[in-house]
Amino acid sequence: MNFSFLSPIFLIGIAAVSLPIIAHLISRKSGFRKRFPAIRFLLASQGETATRSRLKDLILLLLRALIIVLVALLFAKPAIFSFSRAESSEPRSIALIIDNSFSMGFGQNFKKAKKEAEHIIDSTPDGSFFTALPLVPRRGEGAISVIQDRDRVKKSLKKIPLSETYTDNERRLEQVYSALEKAPNQEKQVVLITDFQKNGWKRGNFTRKWLTLIDVSETQAPGNRAVTDVDSRYAKESIKVKVRASNFSDTESTGLLMNTELSGEEIKAYIDIAPGDFTTEEFIFPSTRTNEGPEASGSATIPEDELKIDDTRHFVLSRSGGLNVLIVDGDPREDSRLSESYYLASAAETASELLRSRIRIKDNKSFLDEELSAYDLIFLTNVGDITPGKAAELQEYLERGGTAVIFPGDRVRAGNYNALLGNILPGELGAQAQADSTLVSGETGMFSEELFQKIGQVRVNRSFTLIPAEGAVTVLKLSDETPFLAYRSHGEGNVFLFTSTADTSWSNFAITPVFAPLIKEFLDFESLSNTKCRNYIVGDSVTIDRSSGASSIEVEDPSGEIVKIDPKEPVFPNTGRIGLYKVLIDGEETYEFSVNLDPLESNLEKSSALQAESLPESKLGLVKIFKELWRYFLWGVAALFISESVARALFS
Amino acid sequence: MSNGILDIDTASRLKRFYFRTRSSVRGQKSGIHKSLYRGISPDFMEYKEYNRGDELKQVDWRLYGRHDRLYVKKYEDEVNLSWCILLDKSTSMDYGDEGSNKLAFSKKLSATLAYLLLKQGDSVGLSCYSELGTEIIPPRSGNPCIIPILEKLENLVPEGKTALSKPLLDALEVYKSSATFVLVSDFLMELREIRESLQLLRASKKDITLFHVLHPDETDFGFEGSVEFLDMESDAKVIVDTQSMRHTYMKRVREFVDELKGMCHEFECRYVFSRSDVSVEEPLIEIADK
Repeated sequence: MNFSFLSPIFLIGIAAVSLPIIAHLISRKSGFRKRFPAIRFLLASQGETATRSRLKDLILLLLRALIIVLVALLFAKPAIFSFSRAESSEPRSIALIIDNSFSMGFGQNFKKAKKEAEHIIDSTPDGSFFTALPLVPRRGEGAISVIQDRDRVKKSLKKIPLSETYTDNERRLEQVYSALEKAPNQEKQVVLITDFQKNGWKRGNFTRKWLTLIDVSETQAPGNRAVTDVDSRYAKESIKVKVRASNFSDTESTGLLMNTELSGEEIKAYIDIAPGDFTTEEFIFPSTRTNEGPEASGSATIPEDELKIDDTRHFVLSRSGGLNVLIVDGDPREDSRLSESYYLASAAETASELLRSRIRIKDNKSFLDEELSAYDLIFLTNVGDITPGKAAELQEYLERGGTAVIFPGDRVRAGNYNALLGNILPGELGAQAQADSTLVSGETGMFSEELFQKIGQVRVNRSFTLIPAEGAVTVLKLSDETPFLAYRSHGEGNVFLFTSTADTSWSNFAITPVFAPLIKEFLDFESLSNTKCRNYIVGDSVTIDRSSGASSIEVEDPSGEIVKIDPKEPVFPNTGRIGLYKVLIDGEETYEFSVNLDPLESNLEKSSALQAESLPESKLGLVKIFKELWRYFLWGVAALFISESVARALFS
Repeated sequence: MSNGILDIDTASRLKRFYFRTRSSVRGQKSGIHKSLYRGISPDFMEYKEYNRGDELKQVDWRLYGRHDRLYVKKYEDEVNLSWCILLDKSTSMDYGDEGSNKLAFSKKLSATLAYLLLKQGDSVGLSCYSELGTEIIPPRSGNPCIIPILEKLENLVPEGKTALSKPLLDALEVYKSSATFVLVSDFLMELREIRESLQLLRASKKDITLFHVLHPDETDFGFEGSVEFLDMESDAKVIVDTQSMRHTYMKRVREFVDELKGMCHEFECRYVFSRSDVSVEEPLIEIADK
């Protein structure tokens, strides 16, 4: 909305404001002169009345000056105007695109955009066809069609919601152009009512035909603050939540109250953010408080500004951060250094300090009684005694997604292993054989290149022969081409089988620089596959974690709407709203995940290319539509006249 | 010549009245005023027990017959009085148009009073004073003595600032024997100076009458709009919005008049306030006895 005068020549009349000022000054300088004997009483009274008199003079002067200014403005015919396509007698087809990206939620921009669109609908010649579309399309939006019924178009205009994401605007324009090609009228127009925020305009080389751009933003560079990132992690006995707040304005934000909530507990902090910068604040919650539920969720908030939607960020803290690792030592000794699992346990414990794994070491007997489903990763070292029942449990464990790493030894009987674990092992174990081989890389790049550069140091004196099964991968092999480490997936799980021991009796593998990094790779591999992503950006597709036997999966979005997911392809694509989503597997709430705004969208910087497009009104064929305001000024003049009279009466 | 100064009509209306002092005075000739001396007079004052030396003819024999003790009758003596009229001739007195000019009014008041006083047998002197000096006519009795007074008043030119102390001292030198001082002025001066002057007169056992003459403009402040006022006796000037100033100004004037009145009461002086646009009869009648 712009402001102008229809008869600006009358603005010269504002100069007449000098008249009361001059009169005021003259009256103060030289009044009517009079010789008077009792001047002493006047001098004595002057101090008492001077202040009141000066105030009275100033108020009256101001009122009179305002009256003159308003009268001049009244004659100059003030008016507000908006731009519209030059009227032509020919009807046309118009596509009104309302920018509904979340940045339009700033101030009154979105309301103004709709009002502007309504105004265009009303001012277009009869016989025109319309369509009102959001710039960010709704999911499942039908084909674009133009209609003549203005009321219906206005209704659909009103229904356009403010989106919480942005889209590929150029593609959207192309889509609208293509729909408008088929529209009935010869003359066509695409009106995009936007705030010119640059996100969503990726290429800048979109087609400009029929395009009219209307800027409804209130300010040139709207300032905005936002919570742009939340990182939550388990520490030893606490939970650390790091919250980043960004300041996208030109002025410093001081004393902002940041509030972080986790499972009902709140911690507050005051922060300052320099212009165009961000501040990260760390909040530490005691971990015992959040041990009750399966996972913890929370939010970080800063005080609301003009764009409220990005002042809060939700997060879900997944408990799956730590791995449960079981090491089964088939040949434990009193002196632990002589135990089969000594080097393996040392390497795993070193790695677990980084990965927060929980390691348990059991002997063969205890292993038989242990429930395997409680573990994410199981190492079997020289485990000779495996019962059929345990073999079946191990098989089920693997099918459910577990990982097993098997080191043989002198207690392992190949026939027994092949018989009990044959369908899960990556190959058939053969006889033990003497060897004098070094290690060479295998067929796959499963582990890092850096690791394989040092494998030449490994010397193997004895090993089992292995005939790889179908689908198995030889990860490492000996210089005589026999497998040293083979891999096979089983169900959703993985099995790694070494052909030599985990101690130093058959090879120096455990004391080479390769061993510890390789064990860490196993833990990393499992940790990665075990990491449960719980925090997403608007528009992301979410793969639902579910157990294999789930028969129904539902997702409840922040508004309470429930969406059913196909258990066979458990992907939830409707992350259009920000907030916490609940996943219900077989009707039971299993976990939550959060959906937040893309922090890029919080930067309300305008697209200079678009602004340049909007400026030359003549090129766009726009005309100004005026709304005269003289009535308001007339009322103003009348009110001032009354005020002046009242002031005079009061002071006299 | 003197018709403009002397208000003949007022004088004829007031000729039945007497102008007396409020206390007994020393006189040289017999007159209407109570004398400090006891003497022959138709007015009985009191009885006094006879003492050696008293005249026997004054013994009241009837009283002796009743009380068997000798008393002599005492009578008040009445003497004539010497009046001194002090007229302020400062520039501030020359305010107002014809008909309301303060000096013209004061001249007429002084002339009429002098005429009436001479008529009742008193002697009258005139002193016209200002800061620049004092013109004195010594007190004389007898009707013809009005002529020099009227001439002086006729030719009086306003000059100088209002001042009282110095002219009063000059007047006291000349009018040592005068019992009554009549001050005609606007008294636009410091109250402190007026107080000192009244103190001086009272210390000299003089009877004092003040005619306080102000112009209607000075009492009512009937101006409109913004006016630049210039002082008539100095370079002082002030621009005021008369409308907003009126109330405060009039309050100040009232305070001044009240203080002056209070001062007169304190020193047992007669105070007569008069606007300059009325007949001189009004202030004169206030000090007259029938």
